[in-house]
Amino acid sequence: MNDLIRDSLDHCVKCTICETHCPVSQVTPLFPGPKYVGPQAERYRGAGPSSDASVDYCSGCGICTQVCPQDVKIAEINSRARAKLWEKRGVPLRNQMIARPTVIGRLGTPVAPLANWALHNRAVRGMVQSMIGIHRDAPMPSFAGKTFQRRSRSHHGPTDAPAVVYFHGCGTNYYEPVLGEMMVAVLEHNGFRVIVPQQDCCGLPLQSNGNFPAARTYVRRLVDRLVPHARAGLPIVSNSTSCGLMLKREAHEILGIEDEDLKLVSESMYDVCEFLLRLHERGALRTDFGSLPLTVPYHAPCQQRGHGIGKPALDLLALVPDLDMIELDVDCCGIAGTYGLKKEKYEIAMAVGKRLFDDITATGSDLAACDSETCRWQIAHGTGVTAVHPIELLYRAYGLGASDPAGKHGTRPLAAVAAGPGTSERDTGSHD
Amino acid sequence: MSYDTVVVGAGLAGLTAALRLTEHGQRVLVVARGVGATHLAPATVDVLGYLGDARVENPASSVATLVASSRDHPYGHISADQLAAALDWFTTRAGALSYVGGVEENLLLPTALGVPKPSALAPRTMSGGDLRAGGRFVFVGFKGFKDFHPTLIADNLARARLPAPVAARALELELPAGRRVDMSGRVIAGQFDTENLSEWLITALQNRVEPDEHIGVPAVLGLRRADETWQKLETRLGRKVFEVATLPPSIPGIRLFDALASALRASGTRIVLGVRAVGARTNGGRIEAVDVANATGTVSHRTDAMVLASGGFASGGLELDSFGATRETVFDLPLIGMPETDRVRFAPGYFDAQPLSAAGVGTDDQFRPVDASGRPVYTNLHAAGAILGGAVPWKEKSGTGISVATGYAAAGAILAPAAQAVSEAVR
Amino acid sequence: MSSLEADVLVIGGGSTGAGVARDAALRGFSTILVERRDLADGTTGRFHGLLHSGGRYAVKDPSAARECIAENRILRVTAADCVEDTGGLFVSTPWDDPEYGDQFLEGCRATDVPAEEIPVAEALRREPRVNPDIRRAFLVPDAALDPWKLVWGCARSAEAHGARILPYHRVLDLEMDGERVVGAHVRSERSGEEFGIHATVVINAAGAWAGQIADLAHCTVNVRAGMGLMIAMNHRLVHMCVNRCKRPSDGDILLPLRTACVIGTTDVFVPDPDQTEIRQEDIDLLLDEGEKLVPGFRQARALHAWAGVRPLFEDTAKVAETRDVTRSHALLDHSSREGVAGFLTITGGKTTTFRLMAEAAVDAACEQLGGPRPCRTAEVPLAGSESHELYQISHRLAAREPVPQAEEIICECELITRSRLEEAIKQRDTTSLDDIRRLLRLAMGPCQGGFCIYRATGILHQGGQVDQAGANQTLLDFLEERWKGVHPILHGDQLRQARLDDWIFQGILDVEHLPV
Repeated sequence: MNDLIRDSLDHCVKCTICETHCPVSQVTPLFPGPKYVGPQAERYRGAGPSSDASVDYCSGCGICTQVCPQDVKIAEINSRARAKLWEKRGVPLRNQMIARPTVIGRLGTPVAPLANWALHNRAVRGMVQSMIGIHRDAPMPSFAGKTFQRRSRSHHGPTDAPAVVYFHGCGTNYYEPVLGEMMVAVLEHNGFRVIVPQQDCCGLPLQSNGNFPAARTYVRRLVDRLVPHARAGLPIVSNSTSCGLMLKREAHEILGIEDEDLKLVSESMYDVCEFLLRLHERGALRTDFGSLPLTVPYHAPCQQRGHGIGKPALDLLALVPDLDMIELDVDCCGIAGTYGLKKEKYEIAMAVGKRLFDDITATGSDLAACDSETCRWQIAHGTGVTAVHPIELLYRAYGLGASDPAGKHGTRPLAAVAAGPGTSERDTGSHD
Repeated sequence: MSYDTVVVGAGLAGLTAALRLTEHGQRVLVVARGVGATHLAPATVDVLGYLGDARVENPASSVATLVASSRDHPYGHISADQLAAALDWFTTRAGALSYVGGVEENLLLPTALGVPKPSALAPRTMSGGDLRAGGRFVFVGFKGFKDFHPTLIADNLARARLPAPVAARALELELPAGRRVDMSGRVIAGQFDTENLSEWLITALQNRVEPDEHIGVPAVLGLRRADETWQKLETRLGRKVFEVATLPPSIPGIRLFDALASALRASGTRIVLGVRAVGARTNGGRIEAVDVANATGTVSHRTDAMVLASGGFASGGLELDSFGATRETVFDLPLIGMPETDRVRFAPGYFDAQPLSAAGVGTDDQFRPVDASGRPVYTNLHAAGAILGGAVPWKEKSGTGISVATGYAAAGAILAPAAQAVSEAVR
Repeated sequence: MSSLEADVLVIGGGSTGAGVARDAALRGFSTILVERRDLADGTTGRFHGLLHSGGRYAVKDPSAARECIAENRILRVTAADCVEDTGGLFVSTPWDDPEYGDQFLEGCRATDVPAEEIPVAEALRREPRVNPDIRRAFLVPDAALDPWKLVWGCARSAEAHGARILPYHRVLDLEMDGERVVGAHVRSERSGEEFGIHATVVINAAGAWAGQIADLAHCTVNVRAGMGLMIAMNHRLVHMCVNRCKRPSDGDILLPLRTACVIGTTDVFVPDPDQTEIRQEDIDLLLDEGEKLVPGFRQARALHAWAGVRPLFEDTAKVAETRDVTRSHALLDHSSREGVAGFLTITGGKTTTFRLMAEAAVDAACEQLGGPRPCRTAEVPLAGSESHELYQISHRLAAREPVPQAEEIICECELITRSRLEEAIKQRDTTSLDDIRRLLRLAMGPCQGGFCIYRATGILHQGGQVDQAGANQTLLDFLEERWKGVHPILHGDQLRQARLDDWIFQGILDVEHLPV
């Protein structure tokens, strides 16, 4: 068996390019940097667990791997070393909890008002911080109450159109079901029938919290759900860039899953903007966009860039009349999935995000766009602006809100639709 | 997607070509495995520093001498006017760095070892280190910053061969208390941007520097606000202040990358990193689409032209395997500058002439890679930068110059195929 | 320094010489060691690093096997800091006769070398990169031995017992008093100073160079130099010392040594131990053999190649293949051989049995120094190994954990901090980066000094250890010396590195135009 991840350290010429881009080592001495804990330290790791706990300060954003001109799988080496570390020490309760969004989702959803009160109550959060280690100020989404899965069951779309499969991920399901409905609306507007299979977590949070065995179980379960559709030749689209990337690449590369079904699912997986842009290239995207006279800064999250697909959101939104997108040039918002939630890492995550927050604030816009849910929550937390998925802008530009017979979204101003997390005045109940 | 030109490589040559094409209204895509040598090399533009053993004073005339004897040199494919135009163009496009100099004379800037090195252009934060006029210099280091050793610089400079006398000394400063140890140049640069390190530096230097001393500091004065910081230092200290290139990473180089990348971004050109060009779909000697491997598979980008700026051996544009076979990694293009088969690839002395060092792609005057008969391999494929054979840039001190000049010229060839054809016919 | 006096003068600073000096000092003899270059700069510092279990010799040379396992057990205790308990694995690849495994097991049993056959699946679980087509696998207690730590451990330990260790001191001549050797005339290669050393007994431990020393006393020592080539690979492709289970041959050992792993070796007779040219066909041979042990070996990154010369003592007629000359050591008392008193030669042997060789030599010296004194080297730990804690690969990584980024790392590949470097410069009192390399492994990682050598030069200079000219010289010398080992294996990733290093040294720093 060749170990492709470890072997990639052979390509490292120590050039420091990864270090110049690492957002974490820039702001804290606790993380010695991607070159150090990656290809360098890997040479000191024998068959046993790693002796360097500092690798746990890697946020796993993956920028190092993207910028490395020599194809060293830096972030992947780190990710594995972290897993080995926790294998030895045992994954702490906190990491076990935040790594299981479906469990949290199932617990929180039936009691959403209470859970949301607790999530945003300072006294409770103080207790949570000291007992479990989730930082009291870390951005937390609000439970929507009724999951996207449940909502989608009562939705009746076209029946005879070509089908796409929607992999919505946990964020959409439990916290942002409205985004899921917008996804469906935009896809249906473009003539698709949207299949929403039963689905569970992709395992990414478990992977980044060092529990590889459990992560593999989740991946396999999800792949089992999706693979019949992939076999049928249907494209699978996702609005969660990190979960999509998990299935596209990380489950194979980092978790080391060698599996034909996974491969099939990977090859069928598209980021939704990537998918729509491909439609557009074929001339199959509807371009009946109305005017959207807004100036919106756009942040391409780290995981989005890991897809290697460019920035299709910007290419799509360029089609919308009067919409002025500002492409931000900052690598990372800091949150990196669950990294910034942790008590000992919250300040680091906020320091990482500061440049992005400043740049967004400097645009003067009260709206920002970003593809990844946790990044949107972090941006909203760090800037106070509303952060939306690019699909939401397309949805608006198509005028879908206005034509929505149920009037679910169209009557409210954009900002309210996408009220950020941590804003406790968000009225989650009104979605139903 | 469909593009006018796909550029492979995000180093200086690739970015230069992409920017020039974008400016002329082309729809351009830049794909690269990662960022390039901008982050490693000083941001100076070194057109030609040495001709054999002789230090070059006037790059323009020495380039003419060079190409007269070495037809395969990349400079052999561009005219003196084009070279000058390329530098002029570059100076304005990288305006954020305020380049100083030109193609008619070389500056002599100290390296981190205290060797005077010839460069045609330097950002104005560095150009004050020009040693040609002589004078008194003080080199300032920061304790705990391992990539810059001022004592060695000063001692070597004092013995360097220079047109005018130079006196140099070293000064080492403790960074303000409470700072982490083992900071990279990148971290220090970040602190110059976001904290008040410049105030600290001014205070630390004010009473320790003679009125007629020029002050050399490691090139870590910041990224986003470097020029501002540098101006402030000059103004407040009332002396010439200049940055000296450190070991990699090169902070001025990152500034240059940022300047070019943001110009590209502003005009909507996408730079996609972490992907690799793996081949192309061709038809009748033309490239019709470039195949790019990303997270899950290969995407084909239709294009009218392609610039291959994937670098030399250091960047993986060229490879030598353990059996001794050398190849260009995307198209397996024919190579020039190769050692004869029965000769050794490497000479036993480090400073000996190394047989493999000028290996690379050979081109026509439109920078199209050519086969042994001199015919272009693909009519719309152009190459630029370190992938080109015929030069030993690290010895000649010509690396960044070749990248800028050939990136510019390759773009020019794409923009004006008709004009090129006419000029070829005339010749 | 006009002249020095000692009971014992040891010539040669490899493992044998350092071992002899330590042994003599521990027995209470005043001792001086001279070495023409740096300690462990000859054969010891250029061997593959295998602390033999004896398995390799179990079939062919049972007495050598017995010596190896006995010394292996001793060194794990007394030289713990130099030994990594990697374990050893003998495998029968498709190119090897699986029947040999039976002979191998039988030989091990007969020589007290613990060997155990394990299922192939278990071997592949432990060593996933090893050729999946192996047919048999055996565990033995091989280990990895750090030669520089070993020699310096002996030297420090000898010094602690009053010995003087003089690297860079070349023996120009032996002093004779009639038919007796009474000392040596030496020259400091650093200062140029010449002086005499008077000693009751002179022990020639010059290894492959022992013949040259013996000549000075008009004695004859036939030592053939068997050149062996080694290649260090960039990281541990294997975690155990993996041997081919067959009669010892070329390229049949691959073992982890510190952060790298080393494939060895070849065996070519060379007329002059100082002339070791690395030939492309030998490199190819090792790469091809490596491919048999670990598929994909040719794509893995080679860091550096080097050649060492084995001292192969032969007392009889010519032997065509050097590997068939005995590996067991030879102790020659020149008074009984040539009637020259006060002069012993200890040569042959192997690094694993260096302590035993030293013991034999000093036992013989005792006879000329007033009677037997007991040898203590089997019990007393080497300097640095007092805790009896075996070396582990992760040590340097772990050492840096408690306080993150407490100080600068100068050599990032080998995790050498500024204080370690400064301490080593002070301790060695040297102006040579290459000396520091041998002490700390400076610049021995992937970038081969691309980043650390500028830093180390700056620190050496700033500390006042060398002036500007000296700093430039050691930098340039280092680049030349490094190139010798790098250029024979330059391909793939290491060529990328070499090219980046060219950019750094020539493109950015412009070392070619340093004023020297």
